[in-house]
Amino acid sequence: MTLSQGRSPIKAGSAAVDFDALATELTARFSEGVDSPWSDSDFGALASRVFEYQFAHNSTYRLYSERRGATPQTVRSWREVPLVPTDAFKHLDLVAGEAQGVEAVFHTSGSGTEGVAPGRHLIPRLSLYRASLLPPFKAHLLPDRERLRFISLIPSPEELPRSSLSHMVEVGAQAFASEVHWVVDGTGLIDRERLEGAMRDCRRDGEAVLLLGTAFSFVHALDQDALGALPPGSRIMETGGFKGRSREVASSELYQSLSSQTKVSRDHIVNEYGMTELLSQLYTPVLSEGAADGGAHVLPPWLRVRALDPSTLDEVEEGTEGLLAFFDLANAGSVCHLLTEDVGSILGGRLRLAGQVTGAEPRGCSMAMDDLMAASQTSR
Amino acid sequence: MSGAFDAWALPHGVDAPTRSSLSLVGGSSQLRYLDSDPDWLAQLLDVLADARVGLLDRRAGDLCAVLGSVGARLLDPHDALRKRALEHLPADSGLSPEMAAVVLDGMARDWTEDRLRALLVSEFRDVAYLDGFVERDGRSSMAVGPRLCFQVIAGSVPGVGVSALIRSLLLKSPTLLKPGRGDCVLPVLFASALGEGDPELAAALAVVYWPGGSEVLEGVALQRADTVVAYGGDESVAALRNRVPVTKRFVAYHHRFSVAVVGVEALGEPQAEACAADLANAVAIFDQRGCVSPRVVYAEQGGAVSPRALARLLARSLADLEHTLPSGALDGAEASALHQVRGTAELLAASDSGAEVHHGGGASWTVIFDPGLTVLEPCLGRMVQVVPLADVAQLPDILAGSGVHLQTVGIAGLGDREKGLALRLGHAGVSRVVPLAEVPFPPPWWHHDGGSPLGDLIRWVDLGDG
Repeated sequence: MTLSQGRSPIKAGSAAVDFDALATELTARFSEGVDSPWSDSDFGALASRVFEYQFAHNSTYRLYSERRGATPQTVRSWREVPLVPTDAFKHLDLVAGEAQGVEAVFHTSGSGTEGVAPGRHLIPRLSLYRASLLPPFKAHLLPDRERLRFISLIPSPEELPRSSLSHMVEVGAQAFASEVHWVVDGTGLIDRERLEGAMRDCRRDGEAVLLLGTAFSFVHALDQDALGALPPGSRIMETGGFKGRSREVASSELYQSLSSQTKVSRDHIVNEYGMTELLSQLYTPVLSEGAADGGAHVLPPWLRVRALDPSTLDEVEEGTEGLLAFFDLANAGSVCHLLTEDVGSILGGRLRLAGQVTGAEPRGCSMAMDDLMAASQTSR
Repeated sequence: MSGAFDAWALPHGVDAPTRSSLSLVGGSSQLRYLDSDPDWLAQLLDVLADARVGLLDRRAGDLCAVLGSVGARLLDPHDALRKRALEHLPADSGLSPEMAAVVLDGMARDWTEDRLRALLVSEFRDVAYLDGFVERDGRSSMAVGPRLCFQVIAGSVPGVGVSALIRSLLLKSPTLLKPGRGDCVLPVLFASALGEGDPELAAALAVVYWPGGSEVLEGVALQRADTVVAYGGDESVAALRNRVPVTKRFVAYHHRFSVAVVGVEALGEPQAEACAADLANAVAIFDQRGCVSPRVVYAEQGGAVSPRALARLLARSLADLEHTLPSGALDGAEASALHQVRGTAELLAASDSGAEVHHGGGASWTVIFDPGLTVLEPCLGRMVQVVPLADVAQLPDILAGSGVHLQTVGIAGLGDREKGLALRLGHAGVSRVVPLAEVPFPPPWWHHDGGSPLGDLIRWVDLGDG
């Protein structure tokens, strides 16, 4: 693999040995599932070992941390581990250990600043990623079954080898799909014939379906009237539906249309929240709990989230909206503690998303979206 | 904290719509604005247009005196108008109270009679052109202002709205000003004060804020006005321009940015500190939101003080200024973007990029010294990049790609290279090259974005072809 210019080379270390041991232990812990929460001390102990590993094997992160006075010796809690802004993935390879030895490179899809390449996340161990994604996938999408037929409006990994979302769907399909139908191409264009064929087969066989897609892909499918009634027991996973707009409005309209076209009830439409920079996923637990909780997302036990004051980055009170910061042990091979641009509040350990802060009305003269544009921005 | 501010000023005798809305500004204070409907706005525009008859009988010099007297009140520390402005400006603009006072001083200085008269002379040589035909060099001409002028203001810098309405009123043009969020207080107070001093002139001015972009309301104004002036980002100005009929005058002040360049002659041991102080001041005024605010400082290598050391001096000056002219609060989106950019820059600095980051914590100032990174980020408070340059002569080529958005280049230490460099910068797209200390407040007669502040609004009428 060739590293693009402008990214700093990662200094070689004795990473392989250490990381193998760490990854093996984390894999075992992730495989215990998501049913029992981890205690703070349990999580904290693993978090400090992971920080120690990343500090030792990522010289950039080490210096960044040292300049903040944060070292494995001084950090008393995972909350004190230096935060890395998600934007940094656009400029640096944030991997602990050898960049050359990684097993996968996932690219972010966001357009970002002109002239800046999309971000990328280097993944040293796909097995660790797999171990982290399967238990929540099973718990929130197939709590009641071992297998389902998958229809994916998300492009296959063959079409989009650099998409972590495509990879996730494939790993989920390998574990839980009786068969999988990839019905869009790499650009997201729906193959009507394949989709209709897959829908027809499902209805004929009466086998329940897991229909997966991004909000964007569902809007397209609905516009084309491409979806029909799905067999009983079917469910839908929707992801990435709210950037830059009011989450409530966007998802409630979309879910209503989805529900009426597919006959899948609202408590069988699951929202997945994830990003390339964060290897763990969050889900709305509607299949196990019903739709009563109004869209709060559940975290796997190896993930912690906090809402921070946008100016001071101090933790805000429970229930108050703030910038979301995640500590994800599944990111052991890169950096765990991430500062995002997403806004939400935390209540009882669950995350209530509010949207993306960049959708706000900025004041600066050089902002592309200024006062005049605010109205059209929000309706986009 | 002050109470709600009414974001409108109407000519005497025009009733406001009965409904108004409250909106939070900066989280603490509130702005009350009218729920304008198209019919009401159309009537208002008709009233404004009718007021032109009275203005055409006035002399331009007389209008200078009237408008200048309101400007003088805003400079007078004992005047209630200035006190009211300073009371509401911080919440309106997001600037700290100390900064709001400095900005008001800098802007209102240009709204006095002397400065406005100088503006007229600079634009027309003979003010009488605005009052009737003037014969010169064997030809007879007259300058006529718009019949009805609709101005849309961006709101990033308080005071821009008043400068804009003064320009059209000097030309005897009835004016509807839609101020931007962040620049409501000064135009409203200016218009109210004008109503007390000169009802006839005030009858030709309305200031009405409405949030976001309302296609319906704008449509009414675009239909009735014959001249439209738009300040704002490229997208918003383009959205407006696309709806203006070809028969109407459209003046655009779209997105602009500015930079500074420091040559070795300003990078000696004693000079560099003064230079850093001037730079810090230019960065701090308007909290980098002005189109004149320098976003990048290009510093020449080879002086006693290196570009890296200049960045440190600049950081120290910005830290000092935080005591006398504190940063305003950023909103959530700006603060979030600031932490993303700052944290990423710090990570780059911790890699082997040679970058260095200085900041004041929280949402205050940031100086990024980076030999490789010249990505222009959105306005994120007092954030500035310092980039080393082997020779200042490289600058025009570096900036050429951004020519369409370039405005001011603040200069220091260029010695006898100044004129030659200014020439090439001009060819690259720059419209203003000035010493660092003059960067924040251009005079009223400046060629604003390369245009003529009044000349772009008027229509010449020739009597005979000379």
